[in-house]
Amino acid sequence: MGNQKLYKGSLQTIILKLLASNTKMYGYEITQKVKELTKGELKITEGALYPALHKLEADGLLDVEVAKVGNRLRKYYKLTENGTRETASKLEEMQEFLKTMQHLVNPKFGLE
Amino acid sequence: MCHYDVQTELVDHMANDIEQIWLEYPKITFEEARDKSFKKFGVFGFMDVIEAKQKQMDKRYWKLLLRFAKEWFTLPKVITTLLIFLAVFFLMQIPFVEIAIVSVLLILVVFEMIAVYKIRKEHKAKEKTEEKIFLLEAMIGTTKNSFTGFTFINLFNFINLTKFDFSGLNVYWLVLIALTVTVLVIFFYVVTMYCLKKLKN
Repeated sequence: MGNQKLYKGSLQTIILKLLASNTKMYGYEITQKVKELTKGELKITEGALYPALHKLEADGLLDVEVAKVGNRLRKYYKLTENGTRETASKLEEMQEFLKTMQHLVNPKFGLE
Repeated sequence: MCHYDVQTELVDHMANDIEQIWLEYPKITFEEARDKSFKKFGVFGFMDVIEAKQKQMDKRYWKLLLRFAKEWFTLPKVITTLLIFLAVFFLMQIPFVEIAIVSVLLILVVFEMIAVYKIRKEHKAKEKTEEKIFLLEAMIGTTKNSFTGFTFINLFNFINLTKFDFSGLNVYWLVLIALTVTVLVIFFYVVTMYCLKKLKN
């Protein structure tokens, strides 16, 4: 497992990105999906995921839909219009960040 | 934990997790699987989740109040506000009005107590039948109870104990008191009727 601290600040972006490509998901599904996509490298902890989801919901980026699955109630999250917009800008920020980190960690010297 | 919305979500989550754990370790008991799943929430268990939720609800609640405050300054409501203000302002200038005020307050306190009693009873009944108590609803209930009870009883005591005489005050004080009362009346209305109504939508 990689350094969890490095992922911490990206949790919201990760959630938004996942919802952008999956229309609607529930909390457990998100943890599993992240595990699957990163081949177990990144594990979203429950104690961090739900607060993040609820925060995004309170900020109006996510909408909730409750569905009955078997005899359980399942809370699905999906992006609002605002959320879609925010996802785009967050992803852009992330790309920018990755580029900057690249420059810092792996500087290329030379004449251009 | 007694808040239905957070509760169902976490129940669903743990149920999924327990099913998954069982696939991996088919031999362990339900309790072991449950504990395994619960451990993933960290040392504070559900507290982190609930605390964060509470914070967002606070935010949402204040947003609701703010929206109402803005709405209040649209036309028909401004007139109501003015009328309340003027009524209070002129009523205070009638001699011996404090006796009337004290009696009105006393009646309000009694009504308030009945209301609080009824809400408590309802809440208890809900707890018994395990009906849903949503976080936001619970919060509105508490704010209302603490706010109104506190205000009424204090006002009553203040006027009663000091034998306050409104007619002896100068006009600035009257304006100030009338303004305060107006704001209190509006606030009282907001925290009781309006929020619950909005909540139901």
